[in-house]
Amino acid sequence: MDIFDEIRFIARKTQNPYLKEARSAGQKIMGYLCSYVPEEILHAAGFIPYRLRTVESLGTEKGDLYYSALNCSFVRHCFDKAVRGDFDFLDGVIFFNGCDHSRRMYDNWRDLYRERQAGPGFLHMLIAPHKISQTALNRYTDELSKLVRALEESFGLKITDQKLHNSICLYNEKRSLLAQLFAMRKGEKVPLTGAESIRLVLALSAVPVEKAVSLLEKMIDACQDRNVAKPGDLRLFMAGGCMEEADHMQLIEDQGAVVVADNLCLGARSVHTPIEEDLPPVPAIARRYLTHLSCPRMVNDFYSRSHYFEETIRDFSVDAVITDKLMFCDLWGGEAFLLKSEARRLGIPILTLEREMHGGGAGQVQTRVQAFFEKIANLTQDDA
Amino acid sequence: MFYAGCDVGSLTAEAVIMEDGRLRSWAILPVGARTEESAYSVMQQALKEAGLTMDGLALICATGYGRKNIPFAQFNLSEISCHGMGAHWCDPSIRAVIDVGGQDCKAICLDRQGRAVDFVMNDKCAAGTGRSLEILARAINLGLEDLGPVSLKSRHPVRITNRCSIFMELEVLQHYYGGRKIRDIARGINHAVAKRVAFLAQSLDMAPGFALTGGVSKNAGVAKSLEKILGVRFRPLKVDPQLMGALGAAVHAGVKAGVKDS
Repeated sequence: MDIFDEIRFIARKTQNPYLKEARSAGQKIMGYLCSYVPEEILHAAGFIPYRLRTVESLGTEKGDLYYSALNCSFVRHCFDKAVRGDFDFLDGVIFFNGCDHSRRMYDNWRDLYRERQAGPGFLHMLIAPHKISQTALNRYTDELSKLVRALEESFGLKITDQKLHNSICLYNEKRSLLAQLFAMRKGEKVPLTGAESIRLVLALSAVPVEKAVSLLEKMIDACQDRNVAKPGDLRLFMAGGCMEEADHMQLIEDQGAVVVADNLCLGARSVHTPIEEDLPPVPAIARRYLTHLSCPRMVNDFYSRSHYFEETIRDFSVDAVITDKLMFCDLWGGEAFLLKSEARRLGIPILTLEREMHGGGAGQVQTRVQAFFEKIANLTQDDA
Repeated sequence: MFYAGCDVGSLTAEAVIMEDGRLRSWAILPVGARTEESAYSVMQQALKEAGLTMDGLALICATGYGRKNIPFAQFNLSEISCHGMGAHWCDPSIRAVIDVGGQDCKAICLDRQGRAVDFVMNDKCAAGTGRSLEILARAINLGLEDLGPVSLKSRHPVRITNRCSIFMELEVLQHYYGGRKIRDIARGINHAVAKRVAFLAQSLDMAPGFALTGGVSKNAGVAKSLEKILGVRFRPLKVDPQLMGALGAAVHAGVKAGVKDS
């Protein structure tokens, strides 16, 4: 099994052999829900941080009993898996107020735990401000200290500054390797497809960090002379919230493009901004997580995202942009609108897609995307 | 040189054969369960009409929902590019195409060469499509082909306010049981569906020179309502508007094969 097969194998499973092995060796696993939850704190507490996922979902019927049909399909699939017991191997879950759909999962999961008396008993709600400011940073630092205390008290452990420092160094290494790999897409040779990069980030967030580092090293080696870009492929920037469906990304790329850059939850957001290693750990973690490439939940940070958008389009020679949001996601609905005007300002073609997670409609997506790429070809042809 | 376009949609399949820029033959068939078979049948019918065999075609372009599954086509293009090019072939002054098909509708902006430079397509709702009309016509015991002519006789159209085809059907039944005239309900149906299409089309900045294509363009009631809502007049097309996708695909095949004035 080469590294790509291994990543594919890990990414399409809820659990993987590395996780099972660690668990049988007595290691605890802590689930979390959002790119704003600091894995470093969970790791310093001795847990393997595990990002909740919807892969292998059987549907949303059970999740829908708690949610409404007008809620985000990511949380409905995710919670459906929780109801079915798919996440019973976790020792706890850290929830986050990323948006109201995911924030409500905390309430539903508490009810579920009371009903079932099964699954992870430690459920913690982490709150982050929706703005970036000194006050917000202080507030978030307090919130992270509260998380540290909650973990210490609930599991009878001590999270020292030294442990936090070690975790910060490890995760910085993981981030820098991933950044190095993603930066390789700047050139004419594109070493991995957008679908492969989704699988990779999905896999890395479900294995111990030490394993993630070694997988990344192997991946970087395998990508040295690799080129997945076909002649005539457009270089694409993908923006959107949570996209786990590598097949959906593959479908988009199959119409004549290769994703070279993104602002996705399972993408660039995982590599942006290292944590300063010479500062006191908790404030340093808070600073990084509050000020990294932000999600549209941060209401006063569009300027930074727009700057990243412009810079990336230039540095990665992007030909076109696709925003792909989940239905009922107001955060990305607003962001897609703003990005549209940014794209117009920069003179770059943009297409807005909307989908249900693991939904159908491949024919519609195919037609839209193919027509979008044909339109770009038409616009770049001269009138000879 | 002979070349062809084959359009396999959700309800019908069309094939067009051209020879050096002239329309040679065409065929329309209902789609069966298998794309491949539908494409083959409709192509065979058009070939028979032209007195040709598949080997006689220099190039074939596929389009429509089934475009990826047509084995005898050398390449495929989206319906958006093909409908635009088909309308442009009929009338080079056309700059905007509204295509209302079986299960989707699209608005397309064209440049002077007939190339699609902008488009919108329904994605959340299929109330402005042929299938929706079919359901609503059936609710008042009318055939799809009768909906247009019958509606044109109406003087007091009913108002259908719902946006969902299923709720529209309930509303239609309510009018039906309430004793409203069939022609008035038919006009209400056409207007309601036209409103859904217009809502989509208005999101594009379309230049003058409008054409209506796709199966629903044959419904004069919908066409008239659309013209009224959008404040435009649709240009008459010299070829059956339902053939626009296949025709555009054939024109693209001609361009690719190097035919001048294809």
